[in-house]
Amino acid sequence: MALLLRTLARQGVCLSKPQYSIFYRHAVPMGTTAKDEMNKFWDKNARLNRPMSPHLTIYKWSVPMMMSITHRGTGVGLSGAISAFAVAALVLPGSYPYYLDLIHSLSVGPYLIGLAKFGIAFPVSYHTYNGIRHLCWDIGKGFKIPEVYRTGYTVIALSVVTSIALAML
Amino acid sequence: MTQQLHPGNAGDLGWCIIMAAIVRLSSVCRRGITPLFYQSTLLARPLVVPHKHQEQPHLLTARIHSSQALHAGSGSKAASLHWTAERALSIMLLAMGPVAYFSPGPVMDYSLAAALTLHGHWGIGQVITDYVHGEPKVKLAKAGLFLLSTVTFAGLCYFNYNDVGICKAVALLWSK
Repeated sequence: MALLLRTLARQGVCLSKPQYSIFYRHAVPMGTTAKDEMNKFWDKNARLNRPMSPHLTIYKWSVPMMMSITHRGTGVGLSGAISAFAVAALVLPGSYPYYLDLIHSLSVGPYLIGLAKFGIAFPVSYHTYNGIRHLCWDIGKGFKIPEVYRTGYTVIALSVVTSIALAML
Repeated sequence: MTQQLHPGNAGDLGWCIIMAAIVRLSSVCRRGITPLFYQSTLLARPLVVPHKHQEQPHLLTARIHSSQALHAGSGSKAASLHWTAERALSIMLLAMGPVAYFSPGPVMDYSLAAALTLHGHWGIGQVITDYVHGEPKVKLAKAGLFLLSTVTFAGLCYFNYNDVGICKAVALLWSK
């Protein structure tokens, strides 16, 4: 299985870079790790007090870019919500059903409850579906640009549909 | 330069011991997959030279990152193992959703607490690596994260033990 994947992927890699003119026997391995090099980069540029070049403000935003940062945003948001819940569990005196009834008693109608459910369901759905898309990338599948967009739109559609379905439960 | 074992890696190593069975299973696939991404400059056969470069009198040299397979022992596998463990945990968490729905209870409550906390801890760890630079700031951020994750896990376990538990909590929330 691994051999098959390796053979297939190596074929793909060979065919994708025909313009290499580097002779293998003159390739010199570096003595530093990527982590070391990154640290050196940041140390030097911080020491010289260099400003950062504009990037987010000038580069044209694309759907894959927005989906990527949304994946990160939902991840951080969900993690924060779980941590907040855990801290509340430790700090607040009452029990969970008590607080649930409290919230229920001051809600202003079914639409707000539905909206709240959608608000919880959407980040979970999006992060889950996009997470599966990430795992597909991790096994090497779906990197061609049309595939990236197709899977991206599928994730968005699935997330919206799943969240609406869950909110209506 | 070898990667030293520092507090972050030691903590990850602990989790890796827990994940040892999964890592062993995935190691067969891993060796076949992860070397791919940096072996593109290390093909075992000579590359085809395009016509316009054949007239060059001198040979080009390239400085490349060596793969772990070729320089055994010259680097630590901690980063690679961490990567695999992150994906294994993600897959486990995916499976836990339906299982928790069909078999709610204390086993799923505590499993979810552990898996969610660890997935979040490693995820925020990647965010810190991306945006926080400079050794003292990174150390501070990682320490803060460790504290947050510990409190989160403690709080979730407390909730599972003294209150209704995660599975029941979600069910109750949705029954409103």
